[in-house]
Amino acid sequence: MQIRFAGIGGQGVVLAGVILGEAAAIEGLNVVQTQDYSSASRGGHSIADVIISKEPIYDVMVTKADVLVALHQLGYDTVKDSLKEDGLLIIDTDLVKPDRDYIGAPFTRIAEETTGLALTVNMVALGYLVAKTGVVKKENVEKAIRRRVPKGTEEINLRAFNVGYEEGSK
Amino acid sequence: MRYPFPVGKSDFIQGDEAVARAAILAGCRFYAGYPITPASEIFEAMALYMPLVDGVSIQMEDEIASIAAIIGASWAGAKAMTATSGPGFSLMQENLGYAIMTETPIVVVNMMRGGPSTGQPTFPAQGDIMQAIWGTHGDHMLIVLSPSTVQEAFDFTIRAFNLAEKYRTPVVLLGDAELAHMRERVYIPNPDEIEITYRKLPRNEEEAKLPFGDPHGDGVPPMPIFGKGYRTYVTGLTHDEHGRPRTVEPEVHQRLISRIFRKILDHRDEIISYETFELDDAEIAIISTGIVSRSAIRAVKILRERGVKAGLLKLHTIWPFDFEVIEELAERVRKIYVPEMNMGQLYHLVREGANGKADVELIAKIGGEVHTPMEIAERVVG
Amino acid sequence: MMYLKSAYEIRDKYMRKDMLPTIFCPGCGIGSALQFTLRAIDDLGLNQDEIVWVSGIGCSSRVPGFVNFDGLHTTHGRALAFATGIKLTNPDLRIIAFMGDGDAAAIGGNHLIHAIRRNLDVTVILINNFTYGMTGGQVAPTTLKGLRGTTAPYGQFENPFDIAQLAVSAGANYVARWSVFNYLQGMNSIKKALQKEGFTLVEFLSPCPVSFGRRNRMKTSPELLRWYQKITVPLAKAKKMKPEELEGKIVIGEFVDRDRPGLVREYEAYKKRAKKMMGWEE
Repeated sequence: MQIRFAGIGGQGVVLAGVILGEAAAIEGLNVVQTQDYSSASRGGHSIADVIISKEPIYDVMVTKADVLVALHQLGYDTVKDSLKEDGLLIIDTDLVKPDRDYIGAPFTRIAEETTGLALTVNMVALGYLVAKTGVVKKENVEKAIRRRVPKGTEEINLRAFNVGYEEGSK
Repeated sequence: MRYPFPVGKSDFIQGDEAVARAAILAGCRFYAGYPITPASEIFEAMALYMPLVDGVSIQMEDEIASIAAIIGASWAGAKAMTATSGPGFSLMQENLGYAIMTETPIVVVNMMRGGPSTGQPTFPAQGDIMQAIWGTHGDHMLIVLSPSTVQEAFDFTIRAFNLAEKYRTPVVLLGDAELAHMRERVYIPNPDEIEITYRKLPRNEEEAKLPFGDPHGDGVPPMPIFGKGYRTYVTGLTHDEHGRPRTVEPEVHQRLISRIFRKILDHRDEIISYETFELDDAEIAIISTGIVSRSAIRAVKILRERGVKAGLLKLHTIWPFDFEVIEELAERVRKIYVPEMNMGQLYHLVREGANGKADVELIAKIGGEVHTPMEIAERVVG
Repeated sequence: MMYLKSAYEIRDKYMRKDMLPTIFCPGCGIGSALQFTLRAIDDLGLNQDEIVWVSGIGCSSRVPGFVNFDGLHTTHGRALAFATGIKLTNPDLRIIAFMGDGDAAAIGGNHLIHAIRRNLDVTVILINNFTYGMTGGQVAPTTLKGLRGTTAPYGQFENPFDIAQLAVSAGANYVARWSVFNYLQGMNSIKKALQKEGFTLVEFLSPCPVSFGRRNRMKTSPELLRWYQKITVPLAKAKKMKPEELEGKIVIGEFVDRDRPGLVREYEAYKKRAKKMMGWEE
């Protein structure tokens, strides 16, 4: 399965990809995670790709995405053509105005309301994605979050992830 | 021995991180570097790990000093590594030649990015293949390895150290920006699962007096490292078996350089490694190395599904080059395709190997994106 | 009364017989600086097998080949970068770098500055002959204004570097400058330098009659000696002189003698800090 996260720098798009990849690795699946970002650390587009498979993976990036998670219009516009026609588009409904069918929620607003921090938007979106697709087990994502987020921020990130997961389970 | 990362299990890490962990497990205890995209993460990992394993990690003033420092460290007895990308690799060429001339085991990692000059710092390329082989001046021989997956980045780094130590030579590990930053599931073995080589040391005074001789007949002299009372003199000037400068006698130069070639070329069978996919009955061969090999494998699958008998030769060692295996392949296939992320480098080596026995076509791609499998497959079906 | 061993005794003890004669021209000062260094080692009773000589390229850089120690004759200007690797890998080794002025201050200028900044534990014996002797008398970054070299045949038009002052500013623990005719001071400075932690540098004004003197109306070493006497000013005297009086002069003496921690000690402490921060040890 090819999953692509698209946003802007500072939204933690790459970290979301890394955590999803780590969860897949914990499950013993093959996984490749790559990223593409403009030179600007903040504000430029930011793309993270995750390819998960039981077979060996030879691709180095998403070619035809099964799922596109778009957190910002700039990221969406940059890569929207890579989503399969029958692919799943997940968006932050406040920040992205798509030109095709989608599902989603106001992830950034939910993040702010849950943790007081907009930058936990990546975890909210990740929770939503995992609930909607079941691509990896929830507990493995939680394990990966504990390993990958900065020390001391585990609980806040897990809270954001779980709120997103609940939103996606509705 | 305690390691600063989990061993004996899989982890989900970047190519750069895999190189660093492999170096630590291979026994590397000296790292000198200079920050550069996309190799900085190797340095950052070494900076984190080295003090914990009683090794050294130091940021030098430039890449020239970085490779100089690791050569010094190697003569003091340490396994040593530096890592860089194109611009830094260019600066290292002078001392890469020094390491070849003085037969100093070191590992130099080049995570290739688009060039020339500063080029495309964050994008992958394979434009330094010829430079890795021929970049330093004068006649010389060294070993160049080229991984295509994060697991290979790990495995080949271990191998790079072993080959460097065994043959007293610099080994270049040629990765690229994609591999450097790509994360994959990698198995990090327990130390007792890995075979580790350390350079030959002199067994007696006689051997110690021939730091550039050939007392064992294999072309590889034992290395009398500093501080053991051997009083070894090491110079980049042409020198005799004892290390004494002999710059005006043609036969001394011939003897030295020939042995430096011979010690590697005589062990080609052990040094050269490659993998094949669906090549036994192939009529079309694709030959690739590094990151492009991933797309080439997929291209072979696509072509086979379409009834084209295609196969892949994936080169792990790109120098010394296995001209014989290419010629043998050229004799039994109709055509050879060489996809690479440059304007044609590996292609020239393959053509020399094919020796006119098969058509060789270059599939060049530059700009920072790896060929898609379809791009390769479509060129083959025409 | 000081007992002086004969030069032959020093030669036989420390030089590689199979490498002699040296490449140095008659009247060259490198041999004198080498003799001071070997005498300093001998006086201090240092273990020959715990010293590594490093060098770059140039006449002075050929010195490690003539002495019977471990030696690394490296690329032009880079000796101190190589030395960094040797010293940090095996801190028990004492390192002596023999460098020329072109090697140290031009092509190796940045390595020199950073080795000093790190306070790398090394003793640099710097041969300053104001020229590129080996390649045939080109101007160097130390060539005084107006002096001639083959690449400034009408007289140097650039400002010269004061290497000793540069070393003081960059943070060296010990810096002295003498001419090779200051026999005792030179040898004592090397002895001091060899016993200190961190970066130490002893610069010698050293005659090169063949490549430098010949082009500047000083064809022989005695002429260069007289010139050194004319242009050098002892530090104590210089302190009382006005800047305009010091124009075109070279101050000699001991410029700094301090005890900042050397790179080896700093790195050892850094390793401890790392292990503590990661909870590997208390």
